[in-house]
Amino acid sequence: MTRRERALTTAHRGTIITGIALLGLVGVYVRALMFTPMERSQGLAQKIFYVHAPVAWAALLAFGITGLLSLLYLMLRDRKLDLIAAASAEVGVAFAVVMLTTGPLWGKPVWGTWWTWDARLTSTLFTFLLFVGYLVLRGALTDFEVRGRFSAVLGVMALVLVPFIHVTVYWFRTLHPDPVVMKPEAPSLPSVMLVTLLTSMAVCTLLYVGFIMQRYALAVLRDVREEEAAGGLS
Amino acid sequence: MDSPDNGAYMVAAYIVTAVVVLGYAVMLYLRIRKEKRRNT
Repeated sequence: MTRRERALTTAHRGTIITGIALLGLVGVYVRALMFTPMERSQGLAQKIFYVHAPVAWAALLAFGITGLLSLLYLMLRDRKLDLIAAASAEVGVAFAVVMLTTGPLWGKPVWGTWWTWDARLTSTLFTFLLFVGYLVLRGALTDFEVRGRFSAVLGVMALVLVPFIHVTVYWFRTLHPDPVVMKPEAPSLPSVMLVTLLTSMAVCTLLYVGFIMQRYALAVLRDVREEEAAGGLS
Repeated sequence: MDSPDNGAYMVAAYIVTAVVVLGYAVMLYLRIRKEKRRNT
């Protein structure tokens, strides 16, 4: 099987997984909006939590994987690692756009403000901008070796930033609520709400897998075409 | 205790999520289709 054929298979599988995940997202919407009770003190705005928290999980997972693969790329110089890291970064930016939009939409009715420059929000915005810069940098460089090395140095910063974002609510005074699931103690949610949240997290993880497979396949297809073009010219 | 009337924020958040996720899925699909054409 050629590299191109393998990429096409990955793209096809990624499309199927994305399709399943999108159906799952419809299921999450139905469950969250129609079958999960409203939290009385926050009102309907509390239901934003069922999309905001899972999307934030997917974004930080994506950035964390980019960081890990960037570190491995700097050690091993395997082209595949660089392409997956870049795919993960782009998918992470897409999820982060949702995270940074739904967060203020919850903050305004519950906190009384769209945004506050506390440690959690500021470090999240900084990480988002860092990865936008990562994608711009990749777009600006044409030489594969230089592009891979420079972007990996930027990407590896996620290994520090992602854990830092998680602990900001413990280390600093912040308006942002503490984690309700990813903490040492048992989840602090009624079971009907917890099931909705965990289902949404599973769907977002599946979406991440589908997206990254497609985005990686796209990068390989481009790579193959550019290699063939370069071979044809030489 | 009456619950606050803030359903519009929830509707906006769910619409934004659907638009961005679906938009990115469609964009990826179209980019791959275009790349497939360029490859053949």
